[in-house]
Amino acid sequence: MSGQDYEAPSGAFSQRDDATAGSGAMIYRCGDCAVRVPLEKGAPIRCQKCGARVLYKERTKRMVQFEAR
Amino acid sequence: MPHKPPTQEELEKRKIVGVNFETVTDVSSTDFPGHYPGEDHAWDIERFKKGFSVEFHQNDPYEASFSLIGCDASIANAFRRIMIADVPTLAIENVFIWNNTSVIQDEVLAHRLGLIPFTGGREGLHEFLKWFEKPAEGEQPNCTDYNTVELSLDIKCEDNDDADSKETDPTKLYHHAHVYAKDIVFKPIGRQEQYFSGENIIRPVNPDILIAKLRPGQQISLTMHMHKGVGSDHAKFSPVATASYRIMPTITITQPILGRDAEKFQKCFPKGVIGLEKVTAKEAAQKGSGYRGHEGELKAVVVDPKRDTVSREVLRHEEFKDKVKLGRRRDHFIYLVESTGQWESDAIFLESVSHLKAKAKSLEQQLVNMVR
Repeated sequence: MSGQDYEAPSGAFSQRDDATAGSGAMIYRCGDCAVRVPLEKGAPIRCQKCGARVLYKERTKRMVQFEAR
Repeated sequence: MPHKPPTQEELEKRKIVGVNFETVTDVSSTDFPGHYPGEDHAWDIERFKKGFSVEFHQNDPYEASFSLIGCDASIANAFRRIMIADVPTLAIENVFIWNNTSVIQDEVLAHRLGLIPFTGGREGLHEFLKWFEKPAEGEQPNCTDYNTVELSLDIKCEDNDDADSKETDPTKLYHHAHVYAKDIVFKPIGRQEQYFSGENIIRPVNPDILIAKLRPGQQISLTMHMHKGVGSDHAKFSPVATASYRIMPTITITQPILGRDAEKFQKCFPKGVIGLEKVTAKEAAQKGSGYRGHEGELKAVVVDPKRDTVSREVLRHEEFKDKVKLGRRRDHFIYLVESTGQWESDAIFLESVSHLKAKAKSLEQQLVNMVR
């Protein structure tokens, strides 16, 4: 049978990856005001807007595959 | 002593399971060779054809009710099991999650998506789409247009600037606060366009199934692959919500039940099972009928035993205990098939018949191979 083949989604980094690649800064989320906080390596862990010290890592930009079971 | 052939009455009696106050009698069927001396009960196709019939009570797209009369419980049960576990349907099998910042976890979301029943063009679903073969460990899956259907769900919750300042309803306060099954988009690939377009598009049976709830800033972005499967593998592939049968109840009134008693008798059964009729002059004139001198009074008659639930309530009352005989017809099966929407409910039953036939054919072939 001649069917048009799919491009199965790959597990690698995708083009949807909108992290600030190149600058070396990691993006975090402030635990208090939910603002995006870019942090350089070694920088104090602190929200630049409200000063909160709890920051959350963003979800992975990789595709995750699940069985619907 | 020469054997006397059974009377018609005797034959009917053999089909009845007795239902007493606390016990059940004659549960097993006796129409097999050797049970009655001098009678031939060998299975015969002509005799089966003569005694067998199918009767439809209701036939809607999502619900069908029908009776199989004159077949064995083993056959009836085989159909039921095949309908639940062996008739194939299309369901979401793989979920590729790009982003999910909602409060519902990825694996729970994937599970919920798998359970959504889908429908689409019947020809495409049943003829065009083929089985998907699960790839071996470490191998690439062979996904093509004839074994995989791709869907996507891309949704983001945002504030609704037009909402009233006093509004408290999240669905009005935000855009896409609720994610519904109708938000799932079908992505036709290759020849799927010709089978699943227009009204034949692959879509959820019920567009209003709630999948997740979002708040502003949260988003769900994923693609899904649907494959064909069977209910024995996972319940999401089962084409029926329920497929069950009951055996036909029988109610025999042995002595007349009249007047106030008849009304009370009627109340012992579900609505529509027992009716009230006036005793006719003819019956009243009949000697020994028990109706003498009761012309014009109401008597209880059995109208529709099919609707009875066999609760045995009637047997709890001293005055009715000896006036009625409850039972069930062992060879009369009342099916209720509820479709999830991918098949017509009656087509599920027809499919189960052809499945049983195919199974029997393959067993026959294996027997031939064994003897050889």
